[in-house]
Amino acid sequence: MLLECKDFGIEFHDHDRPERAVEGVSFSLDAGEILGIVGESGSGKSLTALAIAGLLPRKKLKKEGEILFDGQDVLRMDRKALRELQGDEICMIFQEPMTALNPTMRIGLQVEEALRIHHREMDAAARRERALSCLADVELPDPEQVYESYPHQLSGGMRQRVMIAAAMVGGPQLLIADEPTTALDVTVQAQIIKLLQKINRKEKVAILFISHDLSLIRQISHRVLVMQNGRLVEQGEVEEIFEHPCKDYTKQLLSAIPRVEL
Amino acid sequence: MKKYRNFNFICGAVLTGFCLLIVLTGLIRTPYDTTAMSVADRLSAPSFAHWMGCDNYGRDILSRVMEGMRNTVWIALLTVAIGTLSGVVIGAVCGYFGGLLDDILMRVNDVLFSFPSILLALVIISLLGTGSLNVTLALGIAFIPSFARIVRSEVKKQSALEYVESARLMGAGHLRVIFVHILPNILPVLLSSVMIGFNNAVLAEAGLSYLGVGVQPPQASLGRMLSEAQSYLFTAPWYAIFPGLMIVLMVLGFALLAEGMTEA
Ligand SMILES: Nc1ncnc2c1ncn2[C@@H]1O[C@H](COP(=O)(O)OP(=O)(O)O)[C@@H](O)[C@H]1O
Ligand SMILES: [Mg+2]
Repeated sequence: MLLECKDFGIEFHDHDRPERAVEGVSFSLDAGEILGIVGESGSGKSLTALAIAGLLPRKKLKKEGEILFDGQDVLRMDRKALRELQGDEICMIFQEPMTALNPTMRIGLQVEEALRIHHREMDAAARRERALSCLADVELPDPEQVYESYPHQLSGGMRQRVMIAAAMVGGPQLLIADEPTTALDVTVQAQIIKLLQKINRKEKVAILFISHDLSLIRQISHRVLVMQNGRLVEQGEVEEIFEHPCKDYTKQLLSAIPRVEL
Repeated sequence: MKKYRNFNFICGAVLTGFCLLIVLTGLIRTPYDTTAMSVADRLSAPSFAHWMGCDNYGRDILSRVMEGMRNTVWIALLTVAIGTLSGVVIGAVCGYFGGLLDDILMRVNDVLFSFPSILLALVIISLLGTGSLNVTLALGIAFIPSFARIVRSEVKKQSALEYVESARLMGAGHLRVIFVHILPNILPVLLSSVMIGFNNAVLAEAGLSYLGVGVQPPQASLGRMLSEAQSYLFTAPWYAIFPGLMIVLMVLGFALLAEGMTEA
């Protein structure tokens, strides 16, 4: 088991009274598995993802339960140990590939960032070679040219591929994708989903795929978690959930999918 | 890079280039020894021998203007360097980490900022003593608050952006995030405030030397020349006109250059 989340919860203390954002979330994720998290906006998906990536703010919030990555609790790890995991074992891509890339840094340098931090033994030529091969792996045409470009010179789909390349450069065990296709148009969406599936197969990386879009979740996930109001409503194998939902909330979600007859 | 082909930029570049040329020439040689006095030439009008005329001691004004500009530029550069470097460090730390340290430093900053920087510099000079080195230090310190404030607000703005989060997610430490990832993104803003700061420093140095606390004689200084020229405003107007003109040209040129760069 790669990741185990036990009774995880978050309570914010940044306003007058405590606000509960996530409560009692327990699940696990095996190495090489794709786990989908689905739920309406505000249901706590992103917070859960940030917690796993060790990116929750340290102040003004209370964390409950534990999140074990390879047996270590990321919620209570010291910063140095956490930084060793980040970028090397756990990576994350975001919804907006536009703002997630540094506008003043060449793509190549951004893809190499994890290597520069975690693999100090590599020299510039080795880093470049690795970055170029990752850019090729995410099926960008002409990696050499992309390497030299700045983010604003690339389309949204290309930038999301760059984000994936940057995440995969250190050979992580877990890739967290928080609504990675929401900002993209439908055809690009489908390509990114295919790419994530290919990377999952080839690199054996586990993927935590977060989306509010049930059809995407169904397409990519092996197992699914359904969240509502910061709680886990239901979890199980993807076909099980989609064919035989137990909870009313899941049934409502499913009935809201527009059916496109072709 | 963008093309800076607008009117402001070209005028600014020409003026700044002209001033720079004078400063550089002065570094190599001046027409006359800047301290050589000649009784016969006292307050003589501009001529072929003395392009800008002579002062009340019969010294060549052009030579002294060259030396004065060099001193001014040098002091202004050092001032801006002190202000920028300290301002960047203080502002970046405050803007990035926030919290108690930020509150304290920014309150101190607000207090300092509420004094005009020239007044603040005068206070510091009264503690340190006069002279060009102390003026540089005083002005540099007096400039820190404004730089710190600008950098802080920019860093704060940038810190909230997603690319900073992705950098942290890569395992980058705070210093790396601040200096490698965030700082290049605030360079344009920093650059224009450095240029404005340079101009303010030129004016402040001239002002302090005019008051007699800056560059000390026999070293030449544009501000000091202006104050000495006051007594001869009607008998030898060129004594005041040329140093004054050079200050105006320098500041105007740089201001236009800065303006042109932000416009582009
Ligand atoms: N600083 C905060 N203080 C209080 N509540 C917060 C804060 N940040 C987020 N929340 C709450 O956490 C909930 C979950 O947010 P999020 O994980 O982003 O949802 P999702 O990604 O599923 O759309 C939201 O309903 C929001 O109101
Ligand atoms: Mg979200």
